[in-house]
This record gives sequence, structure tokens and C-alpha cells, in this order.
Amino acid sequence: MYKLLLSWRYLRTRFIALASIISVTLGVATLIVVNSVMSGFVFEMKSRLHGILSDVEVAAPLLGQIHNPEYHTDVIRKVLGNDIESMTCVVRNPALLTFEVNGRQWTQQVMLLGIDDESFGKVTDFHPYLQNTHKREQFSFNLEEHGYPQWVANGCKDWIGESAWDYRRRKFQKIRQAETRRLEQERLYDLAAAEYLEQQAAKSRAWDANQADDSSATASTAHYDSVDSSEQPIAASPATFIGPQAPDRSSAKKSMSESGFQYVPLPEKAPDFAALHAQRAETASETKPSGLTLAPTHFSQAGGKLRELRKFSPVDAHARFRDEPNVEEFFNPEEDQYTGIILGLAIAKRKTIIDGELTDFYMVRPGDDVQIMFPTVGGTAKPISENCTLVDFYSSNMHEYDSSFAFVPLKELQKIRGMVDPLTGDASVSTIQIKLKEGANLDEARDKLIAQFPPESYPYDIHTWQDTQRPLLSAVNMELTILNLLLFMIIAVAGFGILATFFMIVVEKTKDIGVLKALGAPSSGVMSIFLGYGMALGLVGTGAGVILGLLFVRYINQIAAVVQMITGQEVFDPAIYYFSEIPTIVSPLMVVLVGLGAILIAVLASVLPALRAARLHPVEALRYE
Amino acid sequence: MSRSTAAQPAKLPSSPRKSGTTPLKLATQTLMSATSIHKSYRKGTLEVPVLKGVDLEIAEGSFTAIVGQSGSGKSTLLHLLATLDAPDQGAVYFQDRQIDNLPSRQREAIRNQEFGLIFQFYHLLPELTTLENVLVPKMVQDGFFSYLRNKRAYKKRAADLLEMVGLGHRMTHRPSELSGGEMQRTAIARALISEPSIILADEPTGNLDEQNGDEVLETLNSLRNQENLTVVMVTHDANLAQTADKTIRLVNGKVV
Ligand SMILES: Nc1ncnc2c1ncn2[C@@H]1O[C@H](COP(=O)(O)OP(=O)(O)OP(=O)(O)O)[C@@H](O)[C@H]1O
Ligand SMILES: [Mg+2]
Repeated sequence: MYKLLLSWRYLRTRFIALASIISVTLGVATLIVVNSVMSGFVFEMKSRLHGILSDVEVAAPLLGQIHNPEYHTDVIRKVLGNDIESMTCVVRNPALLTFEVNGRQWTQQVMLLGIDDESFGKVTDFHPYLQNTHKREQFSFNLEEHGYPQWVANGCKDWIGESAWDYRRRKFQKIRQAETRRLEQERLYDLAAAEYLEQQAAKSRAWDANQADDSSATASTAHYDSVDSSEQPIAASPATFIGPQAPDRSSAKKSMSESGFQYVPLPEKAPDFAALHAQRAETASETKPSGLTLAPTHFSQAGGKLRELRKFSPVDAHARFRDEPNVEEFFNPEEDQYTGIILGLAIAKRKTIIDGELTDFYMVRPGDDVQIMFPTVGGTAKPISENCTLVDFYSSNMHEYDSSFAFVPLKELQKIRGMVDPLTGDASVSTIQIKLKEGANLDEARDKLIAQFPPESYPYDIHTWQDTQRPLLSAVNMELTILNLLLFMIIAVAGFGILATFFMIVVEKTKDIGVLKALGAPSSGVMSIFLGYGMALGLVGTGAGVILGLLFVRYINQIAAVVQMITGQEVFDPAIYYFSEIPTIVSPLMVVLVGLGAILIAVLASVLPALRAARLHPVEALRYE
Repeated sequence: MSRSTAAQPAKLPSSPRKSGTTPLKLATQTLMSATSIHKSYRKGTLEVPVLKGVDLEIAEGSFTAIVGQSGSGKSTLLHLLATLDAPDQGAVYFQDRQIDNLPSRQREAIRNQEFGLIFQFYHLLPELTTLENVLVPKMVQDGFFSYLRNKRAYKKRAADLLEMVGLGHRMTHRPSELSGGEMQRTAIARALISEPSIILADEPTGNLDEQNGDEVLETLNSLRNQENLTVVMVTHDANLAQTADKTIRLVNGKVV
């Protein structure tokens, strides 16, 4: 009884006990907060790292291939059995991506992934990271009409602007109109030139006739009269024509046609295209104007069904590139798209400053066409180039992925890269990705697969997603361990504080200890006063620390906001971390462990002083005042 | 342990040194005795003998004064009697039982229940109130639950004792709020709470002025008469020693 009473009284009447409690409280709270935030970060980071990496992967070397993937998937299914959740085949190869930004070429390297529409999303977290809301639910490589976000987030204007079919139609409409205008103008110039030539030819004939009359002066005047005053500079050098000898007729015509073509003035106003169309249609039936074979008619007449004509030949993967004009002839970019491609958002997104505000600028956007260039498979790899239409962005907020990945349909890529056997029609792949069931041991699965496909006989690289990100993950883990170690030292410091405090209290209480012993208290009782005191300190400090820590974690974002308001310094910049707020995960086990650890340290710190108190000789303790 | 055992005829071990100078009161029983007690303190290699063969007997219900010069070993002797320390040689008997060599548990029990200790510097616990200070021996004696069970009775007895020593109105005060005399009277109440057979007091008035000292002695005296207490008191006060039934004078570590 006296133990409890005295422990309690010592606790209540000692200011220094309060200091010890506060140090324990702060230590515990800090450990809980830091651990929660760190595990929040690590969790977010891991799920991001995992992102589009499958659990386990059987990969051929960079430009190699896995032949007969069906056989491999069967074997894998047999080896891993029930652990498999789903599997998908992927073709992966490095490629060059080229697109135009304001008329300039932009080229960069990407990792091109040919993915299966159906199964890829089941193996990896691919769909949730797509930007188009329709594609997240119903995935395809077609350009969508709607669903592209025009969002404002992350503290800066995040403007993707116009996208999708609307944008593509308008863009190519503009291009077509400009082209039409250009062609019409060219045609007008041609017509004018032809007319002029006709006139000149007539003049020339008249001149020839005059020459025959042998009257050079009249001929000269007649020539000047016949020329329109506005076209005077064209006949700039009459000296060419005036000579003692009659110039050769054909050479004169040639020089005139050249100068005439150069100096025909632009029409005053824009030509009436509708009328011109009609006129052209008339004249087309009669006479075909020379140099106007690229008439704009086929832009309007092409339709979606013509897309089939662009299909790749299974026999000759390169056929399409050898006679490209054939394909282009039926392709109407206002209504057709090339093979869909999905790019990492960071490839296209740049920051720019508009009106003093940080704004996102998209170098390409869904609806634009891009070119990709990559080598074919096999020993005699040849570079090939392919047009694609950007249909969506992929954003996992992992810069490493977002800045390098590009996705195209698996089947198309297999065809283009020549991975399809022309005789059997079997297609090879470069990677088989496996998603395991929740809780399955990845390393074990990987080892089983390595045993099945030993590197001596198979040129495959088999690894888990963690293997791929090993350096980063182990760095993070080490960071976490060291952080915990350092923080635990904080509690240890609190522990030594308690130790020192207790020694002081024992010295201060020497006389009381002597009295208690004189009154018959056993050494163990005296000892338990101080152990109980330490325990009480630990309990109270830990309890307060746990409550404080959990409250802090609960309101960490509000606290960050307040700190930011006071200091003006941004505590948590979402743009750096890609999280809209500070992620936290409170693990009950961690809280319990930290609490127990703190109490243990407090008790341990009180053991030595308590022992000393127990060993005190009552006479010594009582002797002097 | 009951008083009735003490009523049996004392069978003291005969000691050759037993001095004839001590007047024997045949009418009373011996409650406590010490034979041939030697005690020395070691200061480095130097051995300082303090007690060199002390014999004494304390009769039940008597008032014994221990006097002697400062440094003569009075406190040392009292501590040995109270089993707070062990003698180098010799034995201490209490109610015909040698107690100096008992295991610590039993010595603690005897100290707690049979002895009432009073010190020169009161030695109250500063964190506890007057009442709680008086209750400390009971708290030490009982376990947690039995104390709670008996708390009411203990509190009543403690309050009665405080009333008796004239501190009924100071029960919730802290020692720091009491005068020296009041503190010593609290210490007396504490010594009496367990209904001890013997009071061992080391200069209870040594730190008090004359008036306070007299008050304390008066209290002690009246209690002694009321409860038929045996008292052993170390004192410098010659007058006080005069009133004692028996005076033990220590000179050079020996009783004279
Ligand atoms: N722990 C110790 N170590 C060494 N010497 C000690 C120790 N305790 C006591 N002494 C010595 O023993 C002698 C007797 O001490 P004690 O306290 O018994 O004297 P006392 O008669 O009570 O004196 P006073 O009247 O001043 O209280 C003294 O000389 C003291 O110096
Ligand atoms: Mg003394």
C-alpha cells in the first residue's frame, strides 16, 4: 500500500517527474507520428512502384522473344498452380517517339509495351491510372469522344485543353482547309498563267505576222498595247524582243512563261471555294488542269470502313511501309485514327508560365498523331517507323514510369515487329507477366519458375517487381530502419533522463528510505516503490504520447496547413510528392510496440536507482540529517 | 506475538560479565536484554571499536535512560537493540528470543509490530499528511487488500492517537507545516500505532527547545502510564535521566 501511495505522491509532487513524463511523451508521440507518416509514404510509394509492374515476370532479353507463349503459360500454370490470379503476355521493346510541337520535331526514347486489352489490366494496376474516364471502365485503344479531364488540381492550373475526336476533327479540318486554300491558289495561278500564256501565244502569233510585214516599229507598239498595264513589269525587258534578228519563237514563249508564272499577283480576296469546287467539277469532266492531281475530294469521301485497308499484311510486315501512299490515299485523319497509343503523361506534359501563372503545357494531346520507330526482332533487325494516334495518357505519378512508357495494342506490335510466324500465324512475345493471389509468396514463386526455366537452358530473366525496384525499396527500408533507430534513441535519451532523475530522487529520499526500513519495510518493498514510480512515469508518459501522437497523425494535414500559414513555408508540396495530402498509416502493432518499449525503458531506467535504494543501510540512511 | 509470552519467567542466559552493579528489580520481568555486545566501525584499514562488550536488561514497563558523552555509542547501541544493525559479537534478546540473527523478514516484522522507534530528527515522510505518516507502519504491515479492509479501524486508531498527542486538528497537514514539537509528537503517534511492546527513542527532545521538549516528554510520560509502555530513551538531559527507573551510562564503549 505504502508503495503505491508513495509512488503516486512522488509522481505528483515532483516537477522533475513531470519533465520525465514529458520527455517520454514526446518520444512516444514522435515515434508514432514518424512511423505512421513513413509507412504511409512507403505504402503509397510501393503501390506506385508496383503500379504497372506485375508480381512476377518471365522476360526475354531486350530484343529477344519468347516463342510459343501458350506453351509457357501452360507450364507456368502447372508450376504455380493455385497461386496464379491472372497472366498476360506483353511485347516490350525500346523505341523512339517522334511528334511535332509547333512545327518542330520532338524525339525521345520510350519503352514501348504491346499490351493485351483484356488481360493486362487484370495483371497490373493499369486502368486506374488512365486519364480518360471511359477507358478506366471500358478499355480500348480507340480515341474516345469524351471523358478527357479538364481538371484543375495540385495547386496549378492543370489544363489538358481540347482533346479527343473534337480536337482531332478540328485540327485536321484546319489543315485540310489550309491545304485546300493553297491548292486553289496554286490552281488559280496556274489558270492565270495558262491564260497569260495563251494571250502571249496569240500576241506572239500576231507578232510573227507583223514580222512578216517587215514593220518593226508598229510591231513593237502593238506589243505594248496588247499588254495589260498592270502586268507591265512582266514584259520588263523589251530588249529581249527587239533585235535585228527575229527571236526564236519557242524560246521567247519559254522565257515569257517563266516570268509570267512568277509575277502573277495574288487574288485580292479569298477565292470562293464553293464556286471553285463547282467550277472545278465542271472543268474536271472536260479538261483536267495540269499539276492539280491532289484534288481535295478524297478527304471528304473516305470513311471508317476504309480503315480495314490499312490492316497489316501478316505475310510481310513491312509491306505497309513500302507503299505508304497507297495507305494514305484512303486515310482521312478527320475520321480515321492510326493505331492507338497511350503515352506516359510526363512525356507530354511540361510546365510553362502563362500570365505569371505556372501552367501545364501539353506538347501532344489525345487526338494528335505521333510516330514511333523501333527495330524488328531477329538477328537482322531493321528499324521501322509507324504512325500512331495518341488516345490517352497514363499517369501513375511515378516519374520513372510516366516519362518512359508507351502502350500500343499487342497484336499490332507483334505484326509490325515481325513476331508473327508467316507460316503458322503463331506470334511470339517478349514478356509473360503473372499476378499472384493475395498473400502468395513472390520470391517463392520466382524461385519455382527459375527452377522450371533455368538460365542454362532458357534465355529468360525471371524476377518479381521487388527485384526490379530492389535498389529503391532497400534504400527506403534502410531509411526506415535507421529512422526508427534514431528515434528510438530519443526514447533512450528520455530513459537516461529518467535514470538521472531517479538517482536524484533516491539521494533526496535517502532518509525516507531509512525511515521506511526502520519501520519494517522490506528492501523489496522499497525497491518496488521506485520501480512502480518508473512504471507510472512510463505509463503516464506513454499514454499521453500515444494520444498526442494519434491526434497529430489524425490532424497532420491541418497541422501542416497551420504551420504553413504561420511560417509561410510550404510544409508539404503535393507537386513534389505527388500526393494531395500527407499519407499516414497507423499500425496498431507499431503503437503497441512503441508503447511497450517506452514503458520498458522507463522501468529499466528505474531499476538501478531502485536497487540502490533497496541496498541502502537503514542506519546509514538515518544517521545524518 | 502477545504480551502473555513476556509474562513467563525470564530465562536469561547467564553471562559472566553480568555486572552486579545493576540493581535487579525482581518484581518485574525482563523484556529485552543484550549480552556482551561488541561493535566496531571500519575506517579503511583502521578499526574503530565503539561498543566493547555491553550488557543490559530492560524490564517490562520500565523507563530506561541511556546517557553518555557524545560519540560514546549511545545511538549505535539503540540501533543494535532495534535490529537496524547487527552486532559484531554478542546477542540481543527480545522476549527470550535472540533477535539479532533472525532473517531480515522476521526482524522487519518485529520492528514493525513490537518496536516503536522515535528519532531525534522526527523522520516523517514529507509527502504524506500527519495522519498518513501515523498510518505508515500499518501500511507496511498489511498487504494492499487487507489494508483496505482494515483501513477504517486503522484510521480511527491513528486519529485517536493524534488526539492523544494533542494534534487532532492537524491531521491533514504536511510535516513542513508543523512545528518541531508537533512533528515529534506525530512521530510518537506513529511509534504507537502498532501497539508496540517497547519504545526506542533516540534523543527525542534533542532538537527541540525546552518548552517543546517538555511537552513531548509529558506526552510520552502520560502515554507510558496509560498504556504501560516500556521505554528506552537516549538522552543528554541529566534531569530526565534522574526520573528514569534505570540509567545506563556508556563510557568508552562500556556500561558503567
Ligand atoms: N558508519 C560509521 N562509520 C565509522 N564510524 C562510525 C559510524 N557510525 C558511528 N561511528 C562512530 O561511532 C561512534 C559512536 O557513534 P554514535 O552515533 O553511537 O554516538 P552517540 O553516542 O550517539 O553520539 P551523540 O550523542 O553525538 O549522538 C562515533 O565516534 C562515531 O564517529
Ligand atoms: Mg546519537
